[in-house]
Amino acid sequence: MADTAQTAGKFDAGRQHLGTVYAKALLGAAQQAGQADRVLEELESLESDVFKKMPALRLTLTSPRVAEDEKLALLDRAFAGKMSGVLLNFLKVTARHDRLNCLPDVLRSLRQLVNDAAGKVSVTVRSAYPLSNPLRNRIATRLGEVLKKQVTLDVEVDPDLLGGLVVRIGDTVYDGSVAASLQRMKTVALEQTSQAIRESLTRFTAT
Amino acid sequence: MKFNADEIASVIQREIEHYESQIDVREVGTVLEVGDGMARVYGLSSAMSGEMVEFPSGVRGVVFNLEENSVSIAVLGDYLAINEGDEVKALGRLLSVPVGDAVIGRVVDPLGNPLDGKGPIVTTEFRNVEGTAPGVAERQPVKEPLQTGIKAIDAMTPIGRGQRELIIGDRKTGKTTIAIDTILNQKGKGVKCFYVAIGQKESSVANSVRVLEEKGAMEYTTVVLAGASSPAALQVYAAASGTAMAEYFMYKGEHALIVYDDLSKQAQAYRQISLLVRRPPGREAYPGDVFYNHSRLLERSSKMSKELGGGSLTSLPIIETLEGEVSAYIPTNVISITDGQIYLQPDLFFKGVRPAMNVGISVSRVGGSAQIKAMKAREVAGGLRLTLAAFRELEAFAQLGTDLDAATQSKLDRGYRMVELLKQPQYQPLDVIDQIIVIFAANTGGMDDVPINQVRRFETEYLQYVKDVKSAARNLLAEKKELTPEVKDALNAALADFKKTYKKA
Repeated sequence: MADTAQTAGKFDAGRQHLGTVYAKALLGAAQQAGQADRVLEELESLESDVFKKMPALRLTLTSPRVAEDEKLALLDRAFAGKMSGVLLNFLKVTARHDRLNCLPDVLRSLRQLVNDAAGKVSVTVRSAYPLSNPLRNRIATRLGEVLKKQVTLDVEVDPDLLGGLVVRIGDTVYDGSVAASLQRMKTVALEQTSQAIRESLTRFTAT
Repeated sequence: MKFNADEIASVIQREIEHYESQIDVREVGTVLEVGDGMARVYGLSSAMSGEMVEFPSGVRGVVFNLEENSVSIAVLGDYLAINEGDEVKALGRLLSVPVGDAVIGRVVDPLGNPLDGKGPIVTTEFRNVEGTAPGVAERQPVKEPLQTGIKAIDAMTPIGRGQRELIIGDRKTGKTTIAIDTILNQKGKGVKCFYVAIGQKESSVANSVRVLEEKGAMEYTTVVLAGASSPAALQVYAAASGTAMAEYFMYKGEHALIVYDDLSKQAQAYRQISLLVRRPPGREAYPGDVFYNHSRLLERSSKMSKELGGGSLTSLPIIETLEGEVSAYIPTNVISITDGQIYLQPDLFFKGVRPAMNVGISVSRVGGSAQIKAMKAREVAGGLRLTLAAFRELEAFAQLGTDLDAATQSKLDRGYRMVELLKQPQYQPLDVIDQIIVIFAANTGGMDDVPINQVRRFETEYLQYVKDVKSAARNLLAEKKELTPEVKDALNAALADFKKTYKKA
């Protein structure tokens, strides 16, 4: 059981794929009920406030030893009336398909889908020193202008960068850090100098 | 030698002053798992198949498989330095290698990194490792000979520039020797040579390189090495990488020769990585596209049309068979792709017939158009084939020990001498003119009175005699390249004169 608890948090490409399929279905159902934002909010809170704090509950719901009926009954007892009907139904369907272990992946995909639909994009910014709030706002606005989307910033501090910023949007990284610049400068200087030495050795030898 | 530090510092200072800082834009992914020389990566959403990627340790990889949720990367280097969660950077270009004169005379790995300790390879020219073969309009028929310097091959299975001739045989039958001899014989003929060693013992490659160096052949030769301990991905790409280097000269209108030693090991490495990315196994567990892999590779050898410079790329793929089994999957595939094969047999090898070529089943589909006229003549190669065919027929019969009539006996005697004449020591390629002189002599009956065990001595001494005393006859043949009556008379006279001085031991 301890094993399952560990793997649940790990990223798995196959599970992520399943999660996307379920997230699309959930978003469709929520949009029909006009509750897309509410469902996302509830799912976030379910993940961070309930499952993170009560790992035993997640283990029970994902365990193959617990019968399907018991899981459904447990969901009903725990959440009926406390969350929107759409989400509860979704949890039940997922439980019946034995896919509750994909819930973190569903959440990740759902967040992405809701953001996409609303024209929002989440951007990771890494810097050597903590960024002040006005600076953060300026970066967010500027990025928003370029991307023509509403930008949510995730800020990370990484002293190894020495200075400058590294911005990651999706799979693309824009690296303006001092560390990367120095690294590149080193390669170029080495290459050019050894080239120059090879071209005219006499120039560099002391007489 | 002392270096002047100030001068070096000034160069570096200038570099720094002119350094323009730009933002580095890259597409990245995350390593999910790594093992057996393959890495599975999440992200890299716009990666192309065959694109180069870089891991944080500086190791390069190539996008091998695009899957629904991830990308499989064949790691071209040490995969043990890669960790789960590492950031993988797409380099935005396909796998390419340095080409041009800078790689000539070097020993390099399949990525073009030097392995010979002779300093970095400086060139601005690169070529994609994978490329399409020239189309029909860009080619012309093979017509110039590529002399291997081996009598048996040049006379009976001639190889033309732009041809693909397979060398096939069991282990230890002299396959590599034929290839090395051919490279040695290209000295001064303007053919750039590329020896691609795939899955070979590094010790035997070191030996080949030493031979090439000693004979002065490294001046026009490049060795591309993916040894037995190299990652499978490097062994797979070595063949294409060597081809890219050789192709460069073909497209420039020059001539190149490439030896793939050997393609069975390349196929095994390809099978390994294909199975690791879960491509379905087919016959002998090879993936379905192993045929395409080889045909695509060998199709890049061609003879370019006159308008495009008339360059050529000749290839000598080598296939190792197990216990003479030519009907295994990879041998049949490559036999059907190439324009002929040289078949080497262990029993011949141990009988002392070296090169151990079985002349009965070795063929060249280009044939006479890859020979000079004098070699093609009925008195030389044309007659040789017939003599040997008649000899093989009679040889088995003669072993019964029955009495034979004089005509049969003379056919047999001629045959034994021909077999003896076609033997040739390692690393001693013979000029085509010399080949014609000795085969002409034997075929016209000039050696019938030489004892069989003295044929080889007779041959060397005769050639030396012609070079020293009868150079006029030799020059005449070299100039005409044809057996005119005049040339024949000169050669017959030379032989008659030599026989007067020749002492039987």
